[in-house]
Amino acid sequence: MDSIEGIITGFQVAFSMQGLLFVLIGVFVGTFIGMLPGLGPISAIAVMIPVTFGMEPTVALVMMAGVYYGAVFGGSTSSILLNAPGISGTVATAFDGYPMAQQGKAGKALAIAATSSFVGGTVSVILLMLLAPILSSVAVSFGPPAYFALMFMGLTLITSLSEGSTIKALISAVIGFMVVTIGIDAQTGTQRFTFGNVNLLEGLDFLVIALGLFALAEVCTLIINRKDLSMDNAHKLGSLKITKQEFKEMRGPMSRQSILGFLLGVLPGAGATIASFIAYITEKRIAKSPEAFGKGSVKGLAAPETANNAATSGAFVPLLSLGIPGSGTTAVMLGAFLVLGVQPGPLLMTDRPEIFWGIIASMYIGNVFLLILNLPLIPYIAKILKIPRPLLISLVIMFSIIGVYAISFNTFDLYMLLLFGVIGFFMRLFSFPAPPLILAFILGGMMEQAFRQSLTISNGSLMIFVQDPLALTLLIIALLSLAFPLIQQIRRSKRA
Amino acid sequence: MKRWITLIGFLVIILTVTACSGKDEKATGSSGDWTPEKPIEIIAPAGAGGGWDTTARMAAKVFTEEGLIDQDIGVVNKPGGGGAVGWAYIAGKQKSSYNLFVSSPPIVLIPLNGQSEYGHEDFTPLANMIADYAAFAVSADAKWDNLNDLFEDMKKDPASITVVGASSPGSMDHIQFIQIAKAAGVDVTKIKYVSDQEGGGLTQVLNGSADVYSTGVAETVEQVKAGKIKVLGVSSEERLEGEVIEDFPTANEQGIDATFVNWRGFFGPPDMDDAAVKYYEEKFKELSDSQAFADIREQYGWDEMYMDSKSYKAFLDEQKEEIQSLLDELGLSK
Repeated sequence: MDSIEGIITGFQVAFSMQGLLFVLIGVFVGTFIGMLPGLGPISAIAVMIPVTFGMEPTVALVMMAGVYYGAVFGGSTSSILLNAPGISGTVATAFDGYPMAQQGKAGKALAIAATSSFVGGTVSVILLMLLAPILSSVAVSFGPPAYFALMFMGLTLITSLSEGSTIKALISAVIGFMVVTIGIDAQTGTQRFTFGNVNLLEGLDFLVIALGLFALAEVCTLIINRKDLSMDNAHKLGSLKITKQEFKEMRGPMSRQSILGFLLGVLPGAGATIASFIAYITEKRIAKSPEAFGKGSVKGLAAPETANNAATSGAFVPLLSLGIPGSGTTAVMLGAFLVLGVQPGPLLMTDRPEIFWGIIASMYIGNVFLLILNLPLIPYIAKILKIPRPLLISLVIMFSIIGVYAISFNTFDLYMLLLFGVIGFFMRLFSFPAPPLILAFILGGMMEQAFRQSLTISNGSLMIFVQDPLALTLLIIALLSLAFPLIQQIRRSKRA
Repeated sequence: MKRWITLIGFLVIILTVTACSGKDEKATGSSGDWTPEKPIEIIAPAGAGGGWDTTARMAAKVFTEEGLIDQDIGVVNKPGGGGAVGWAYIAGKQKSSYNLFVSSPPIVLIPLNGQSEYGHEDFTPLANMIADYAAFAVSADAKWDNLNDLFEDMKKDPASITVVGASSPGSMDHIQFIQIAKAAGVDVTKIKYVSDQEGGGLTQVLNGSADVYSTGVAETVEQVKAGKIKVLGVSSEERLEGEVIEDFPTANEQGIDATFVNWRGFFGPPDMDDAAVKYYEEKFKELSDSQAFADIREQYGWDEMYMDSKSYKAFLDEQKEEIQSLLDELGLSK
C-alpha cells in the first residue's frame, strides 16, 4: 500500500506549479540540445547541473530527468534530417529515417519518430511505475556469463543489418571488433594497439566513429555526387500526417518494442543503444517485407525510436532503486543526484518517496509536453533542409566537430573523426555497410570483457556459460536465430 | 575530377582548422608575491561524477563562494587512461601557474603499471586535501562475517573466491585489497581479481558472480543501510566517524596490521614557479580550514588530510616505494 501512497505523493509533486514548470524547462532544454547533431543527453545533463545548485532537490531532479529523456526524444531529429546521430541510441533511427527524409517525407519521418518516442516513453513509464520495486532484482540478475550471452545474441543479428553482400557485412563487423580493442585492456591493464599514444589509452569514443561513418561520410558523398542535389526531393518537407495505413504498420513495432526496449534498458550496460538495434533487427526479422527496411520503412523508423525512449525509462530502474548507473549517461545523472545531496539506492523509495515517485510521475507529464512541443515544431525544424546545401554541409561538419570535441576537449579526437569520415566514405564507395561496424563496436567491447570476467570467475572453464540458466537460454536463442535463416533457405530451395 | 579536388580541398581545410586550434598560453614566471591575474583551470583527469571530479568541483566552488580566490576557476574533465590523458596535458603546460589538476593514488600506481609516462615526480605537488578509505564488502548472506574468516578461506582455496573492483589490475581497487590481504598472510599472487569498469562491481556481488567488492567507503553506505551487503573491513587506521560507517570494523582492529589511504590532493605542472606554489599552498590551507569545506567533507564522508607541498612530496615518494615492492611481488610492475 506504501507504493500507492507514494504514487499519489509523486503526482502531487509533478502536478504542483513548480513541478510542471521545471518539467517543462527540463524537457525543452533536453529536446533542444538533443536535436543538435553530436550533442546528446550527457552534454545536456552536464550543462544543466550548475543550474540546479541551490534548488530544492525534488524539483531539480524532476527537471534533470526531463533533460535526460528530452534529449533522447530530440536526438532522432539530426539522425533523420542530417544522418548525424547525436547519441548512440539514435544511430538505428537514421537507417530508415534518413532515407525517408531524402524521399521528401521529412515531416512524416519526424512525426513518426515523435509519436513512437511518445508511445515508447509513456508505456515504459507505466511499466516503471508498476514494476520498479520488483525489477531491481532483475537488474542485478545478469552476471558476466549472461551478459556475454546477451551480447552474443546481439551479434548473431549483425548480418541481418545489411542488404547485399553478407561477406562485406562480416568484414565491416570484424573491423568494428578490431577498433574496439584499442586502449587499455581492463582485465590485465595492458595497452593494446595504442602505439604509445596517450590519446588512445581510453580507446575510441563511440561518437567519433558514429559521426565519422555517418555524418562526415554523408557529407563527402554529397560533395562527390553534386548532380543529385538538383533533384529537389530532399528539400521537401512533405506532409506531416501519418496515414491510417502507416499507423497500422507502426502499431506492432510500437507495442512490442515498448516492452522489449524497457526490459533491455533495465539491464545495466545494455541501454538505449542496444535496445534500438535489437528493436530494428527483430522487427526486420519478423516483417513480411524485410526488403523495405533501410529504404524508408515506417516500421524500421518506429521500432528503434520506440525502443530507445522505452530503454531510457528502463535505465531509471537500476539508477533509482539500486544506485547503479548502467551507462555513461546515467553515471552523469547519478552525479547530478549526488550534487544535490540525494543518494539513489534501495532506500530512496522509502526515505525520499517524493523524489522517487515524483520523478516517475513527472515522466508522464514530460512525455506529453515533449509531444506537444515537438509536433508543432516539426515544420520549423525541418526547414533546416531548406538551408542551401553548401551551408548545411558546413553546419553538419561544424556540429560534428563540436560534438566530438565536447567529449574530452581533445583535438586528437578530431583527427580520428576525420579518419573515420574518410573510412566511411570509402566504405560507401565500395558498398561496405557501416551499421555492422557500429554494432560490433558497441557489443564487442562488453562481450569481450564479460567473456573474460566469466572465465576468471570459473577458473577457465567454459562450463560457466552452460551452468548459468540465463546465459544458456540466451545462447540457445542466439543459435536458433543463426539457424533460422538457414532453415528458411533450405525450405525455399526445396519448394523451388 | 573536379569533385575530387573539391573534396580534397575540403579535407585539407578541416585538417588545418583542427591543427591550428589549441596552442597554449605562455607561462608567466616571476618571483616574490604572486597572485593569479587570469582564470585558473583545474583538470579532473576523469569523467564527470567521479571522486576526482567531485573534489575538483567542490574545491572550485568553495574557493569562489568564500572569496578565497578572486579569479574564475574552471573545472575541465579530461578522462582517459585512468588519468594518463589529463596528466599528459598538464605535463605540456610546463611552468604555467594557471593549470592545476586533482589526483590520488593512481598517479603513483598507473606509472608503475607502465600505463603513463608521467608520474608524481614530473609534477609540482601543491597540497593534499582529504583522505578516503577502502571498504571490502560481501553480499549480506555471505558466509564470512569478518576479514579473518574471508582470508582463512582464501589461504585454503584462493581459486574459489573472486574479488571485483572498478579499476584494472595493479590499480587502486586491486592494490588496496592486496595490501590488506598480504598483511593477513594470503598468497597475493593467487588472488582472483576481476575488473568491471562499467560500475558493475556491486551488481556482481549482489548476484553472486563475484564474492568480494573492493571499493570506497562511501559507495557501500546505501547498500549496507538497505541490508544488501555487509562491510567486512575498512582500510583506515581508526574507526571512521559518522552514521553507518562508524560500525565498519577496521582491518587493524581485526589484527591485520595494514592500512590504505585514498588521499586526494592538487598538483601543478612541472617546474611551477615557487611563488605560485606558495600562493596555492596557502589558499588550499585556507580552503581546508574553512567551515564550508568541512561541511563538504562531512557530506561525502571524507577525512581531513592536509599536507603542504614539501611534506606531500615526501609522502608520495614513500608511497611509491611501498607500492613498487607490492607490484614486484605480483609481477605487475613494468
